[in-house]
Amino acid sequence: MARRGEDEEEGYDMEPEEEGEDFDDDEEEEEPEEEEADRGKKRRRSDFIDDLAEEDDEDDEEEYDEEEDDDGGGRYRGGSRRSVAPKKRSGSHFFDLEAQVDSDEEEDEDEAEDDFIIDAGAELPDEDENRQIHRRPLLPREDDQEDVEALEERIKARYFRNTQLEYDEEATDVDQQALLPSVRDPKLWMVKCAIGHEREAVACLMQKCIDRGSEMQIRSAIALDHLKNYIYIEADKEAHVKEVCKGLRNIYSQKVMLVPIREMTDVLSVESKAVDLSRDTWVRMKIGKYKGDLAKVVDVDNVRQRVTVKLIPRIDLQALANKLEGREVVKKKAFIPPPRFMNLDEAKDLNIRVERRRDPMSGDYFENIAGMMFKDGFLYKTVSMKSISANDIKPTFDELEKFRKPGDGGEDVASLSTLFANRKRGHFMKGDAVIVVKGDLKNLKGWVEKVEEENVHIHPEMKGLPKTLAVSEKELCKYFEPGNHVKVVSGTQEGATGMVIKVEQHILIVLSDTSKEHIRVFADDVVESSEVTSGLTKMGDYELHDLVLLDNTNFGLIIRVESEAFQILKGIPDRPEVKTVKLREIKSKIDKKFSVPDRCKNTISVKDVVRIVEGPCRGKQGPVEHIYRGVLFVYDRHHLEHAGFICAKSVSCVVVGAPSRVNGERNGELFSRFSNLRPRNFPPSPRRFSREPPINSGGRFGGRGHDALSGATVKIRQGPFKGYRGRVVEVKGQLFRVELESQMKVVTVDRNMISDNFVTSTPYRDSRYGVGSATPMHPSRTPLHPYMTPMRDPGVPSSLTATPIHDGMRTPMRDRAWLPMSPPRDDDEDGNPGSWGSGTHYLPGSPPSRAYEAPTPGSGWASTPGGTYSETGTPRDSGSAYANAPSPYLPSTPGGQPMTPSSTAYLPGTPGGQPMTPGTGGLEIMSPAIGGENEGPWFMPDILVTLSRSGEESVGVIREVLPDGGCKVTLGSSNNGETVTVRPNEIEMVVPRKSDKIKIVGGALRGRNGKLMGVDGSDGIVKLDNLDVKILDLTFLAKLAQ
Amino acid sequence: MFFHIVLERNMQLHPRYFGRNLRDHLVTKLMKDVEGTCSGRHGFVVAITGIESVGKGLIRDGTGFVTFPVKYQCIVFRPFKGEILEAVVTMVNKMGFFAEAGPVQMFVSNHLIPDDMEFQSGDVPNYTTSDGSVKIQKDSEVRLKIIGTRVDATEIFCIGTIKDDFLGVINDPATI
Repeated sequence: MARRGEDEEEGYDMEPEEEGEDFDDDEEEEEPEEEEADRGKKRRRSDFIDDLAEEDDEDDEEEYDEEEDDDGGGRYRGGSRRSVAPKKRSGSHFFDLEAQVDSDEEEDEDEAEDDFIIDAGAELPDEDENRQIHRRPLLPREDDQEDVEALEERIKARYFRNTQLEYDEEATDVDQQALLPSVRDPKLWMVKCAIGHEREAVACLMQKCIDRGSEMQIRSAIALDHLKNYIYIEADKEAHVKEVCKGLRNIYSQKVMLVPIREMTDVLSVESKAVDLSRDTWVRMKIGKYKGDLAKVVDVDNVRQRVTVKLIPRIDLQALANKLEGREVVKKKAFIPPPRFMNLDEAKDLNIRVERRRDPMSGDYFENIAGMMFKDGFLYKTVSMKSISANDIKPTFDELEKFRKPGDGGEDVASLSTLFANRKRGHFMKGDAVIVVKGDLKNLKGWVEKVEEENVHIHPEMKGLPKTLAVSEKELCKYFEPGNHVKVVSGTQEGATGMVIKVEQHILIVLSDTSKEHIRVFADDVVESSEVTSGLTKMGDYELHDLVLLDNTNFGLIIRVESEAFQILKGIPDRPEVKTVKLREIKSKIDKKFSVPDRCKNTISVKDVVRIVEGPCRGKQGPVEHIYRGVLFVYDRHHLEHAGFICAKSVSCVVVGAPSRVNGERNGELFSRFSNLRPRNFPPSPRRFSREPPINSGGRFGGRGHDALSGATVKIRQGPFKGYRGRVVEVKGQLFRVELESQMKVVTVDRNMISDNFVTSTPYRDSRYGVGSATPMHPSRTPLHPYMTPMRDPGVPSSLTATPIHDGMRTPMRDRAWLPMSPPRDDDEDGNPGSWGSGTHYLPGSPPSRAYEAPTPGSGWASTPGGTYSETGTPRDSGSAYANAPSPYLPSTPGGQPMTPSSTAYLPGTPGGQPMTPGTGGLEIMSPAIGGENEGPWFMPDILVTLSRSGEESVGVIREVLPDGGCKVTLGSSNNGETVTVRPNEIEMVVPRKSDKIKIVGGALRGRNGKLMGVDGSDGIVKLDNLDVKILDLTFLAKLAQ
Repeated sequence: MFFHIVLERNMQLHPRYFGRNLRDHLVTKLMKDVEGTCSGRHGFVVAITGIESVGKGLIRDGTGFVTFPVKYQCIVFRPFKGEILEAVVTMVNKMGFFAEAGPVQMFVSNHLIPDDMEFQSGDVPNYTTSDGSVKIQKDSEVRLKIIGTRVDATEIFCIGTIKDDFLGVINDPATI
């Protein structure tokens, strides 16, 4: 190819005299370009060769190993390499050879090669002059003879025609077209050669040409860098190619392929434009231990194809010190030291010699450590251009920040004009506001009118300027003003929208719409948009603001979705903890809708507005977004951290107002409905009923501090507002002022008219019971346990509610709801041991921690409805059969009590069997009230139960849990008994003893089997099948059938 | 900025209100429905000042509801970019402070607070000048300039600045 122009030229030179000089000129007119192109290529090529050689020298382990290994055939190269001691020389050697060949053949080309600068100077006018003459179409010639005269003339023409130049025309496309190879030109043949020896093969050919001279009939041979295994040979005939390849072991000439004419140009066209490296360009290292690291170009040596870059060193000083002292260095290939700035003192401490030297070229001082140059902590490294990549470098903010000189903020990351070097195409759009950042027009603002390849036509803002100006794309930057609403379209924050609040040159500070956080983005990465999004909101199955389970004990709320990970606010109340997790670390999404009692035992359901009254987030208020295990995720839009989410315990919150809520309402209704049904359906506790009227009469409130009632949610039982629910605003003697939920007004009602589901708001405020502040809390948790149990078991049919037992079961609930309110009652001893009885006990000793412990093990207690708390105790006490039950646990440790009732009660109760019924029934019943339709059976197959039917009791094994809550039970402890279907209230789980095999029927580990290692109060120490040891509430443990 | 403009709305009225007081009901309902709402175009409807006209009602098939086109005059409040407003600080944090001017919520980022004011955390988080003479904390009154607005269906959110001449605290609760 290099010679094509030449050949043609010669061809023309052969032309009859009459065409003479003009013709020549004409030819020249074309030629320069070609020549120039040629030169360009040549230069690149030879440069490359040089470069390659050098590279070989310096990091031979890296890339070019193979070439070195067997260069048997490569005479020149191999030879030079081997013979000449400093490898360095091989490159220039090579280069020389090539030049030699050229000069051998023709001076002209030689000129073109080596003296191109002069040449070009001489040629330019040439071109133009020729253009004036412009006479005759080109006729390519095949002839390939040298005409010395013509050559002479031509040279003369070239060097003696410097007069009257006109710079008007440029080479047109047509001219260019004329240069394309035609059928009459020599052809290009593709020949296979040994992989990695392409250059060598060509060099061999070259040498052969030198040696054999005229015998060789090929025109040129080309090895392309990007094409392995093949070289191109330019020749007129295939036979010439075969001939020339004879005897060269690197070339396999059996298969010679002709390159179609159309594709010939492609062979030699450069596919990617050479990256124009300039100082301050950001690049990335391609190889070595800095691979992938960002570097900044500080110096470019175009001749040697080397660049000096500035890097953050990755140097293990200790290892370096060891090496320098000649100690054994343990080679750990995998270990790459993290990047950090070189600390000279540290180096000196390790006895590493630090020399301070002046760089002769730049005059700067560098610290020289073991041959590496450092300055200001950065490593200055000179590398080959091939080992860096400058395309598409998008430094992230972090990287840029790191690149700031440590301890000096002087260098503004924003002033990195080179960032634009790698912009995507189509970066600017018509209408974009832009600002010129470089050149004469710097700081001129305008709007994009038209975008061309390189240039952008802008409509300047300033008056008095032309209507449109064409500005290079690189000199432009998008421009935003504070207040613009933008969307981030690339980078890590991709997708986020927000308002620009500050513009620092190319960096915008944007206030994100959703997170209300400041984000820093490059102006290039954003577009103006009115859209409001939060960026990524979904990844995998999880979306922003989903509640997810991380492992058995941890859960959290997704507060941000990043490109590869989620940020999760963990469900730890009172201590915001954010964790970044990967998609695969998330176990599942928690979709259940629970409701829990708040501090005042009002029911909190999702979407209720609550106020946090305890803990660090006290005072915050907002709707509940998620409830899980008694932990609320509250969204407060004024809370700026964690996307506005606050994690709080349900008991440290109070429901604000009492907007009508599906769940709350339903609970309320259930209660009242059950209360009506109760007398009919709940025979076991007749005594209760007798007690009821006085309770409902409200007389019991007499002794209480009024304050305690304000804020409580009540339901009006009688009168014009019958059925309404509301919040007590004020208590005036016998009259309550109630703010109705549904009507937004405050009405005054008689205390007697208030009914049902009445719950105190802040019992702790009650002066009289102040001491016992823990008391109400205790009960509140107590029941949770039993309740939670049902919740845990998915599958308890919602139909449970319908069973008569349930209705019956309501009774205790109701009672217990009242119990705490009715201290004056005289039947305390059986009525409310769970609440007051224990309450008094708490007073002296009640360790508050105990109270808190209670909820912890019960992961599912969250869903317990408010107001139902002392239920466990109540039914048991009231049931005549329970006579024995209360005593054991009533006085027992107050703290432990909350959880104990169910378990301890079972113990004594088990033999008796039937007394259990209400207890269990109660548990079951709760499930619907809890509101989880699908939480249900807590009985599980294979557990041992006691069955109490028609007065007799027997032991059985649950075989199957039916969807309606009933169970198929095989009688007898072995499997051979009769199988009967029982209702859940007829069976009772057998509480395991030490070293019994158990099944966990509640909590997070539900369904797992294990062995009970011991009992500690209400907790069982369980060794799971996988040998994990867990401490679980005894209520969660059921004895497994053998 | 406040505007007194005429707006139109189709009101649906339940048949039980048909009667002598129909118009009153209509107006009451209109006020209930409209006052305090926000539209991106007009901003917040602060108050209805009068009824321009009530068009002919159209009975809806099936429901019996009647739709009246009602034209009413009202005062609307719409913040504009560049407008200067006085607002009460509602919350201060390290990223800036929130302020409210009536129904409009505004945020002033710490980038838009004069550089000499620094955030002081503590019980009462505030921004204070180095000499302590000016303090922005909750309930302070500030004069600020709106530099950007974002209009949602239900609220208008503005970004303001006090980094300009004559902006800043105009009435500090601490000094009263």
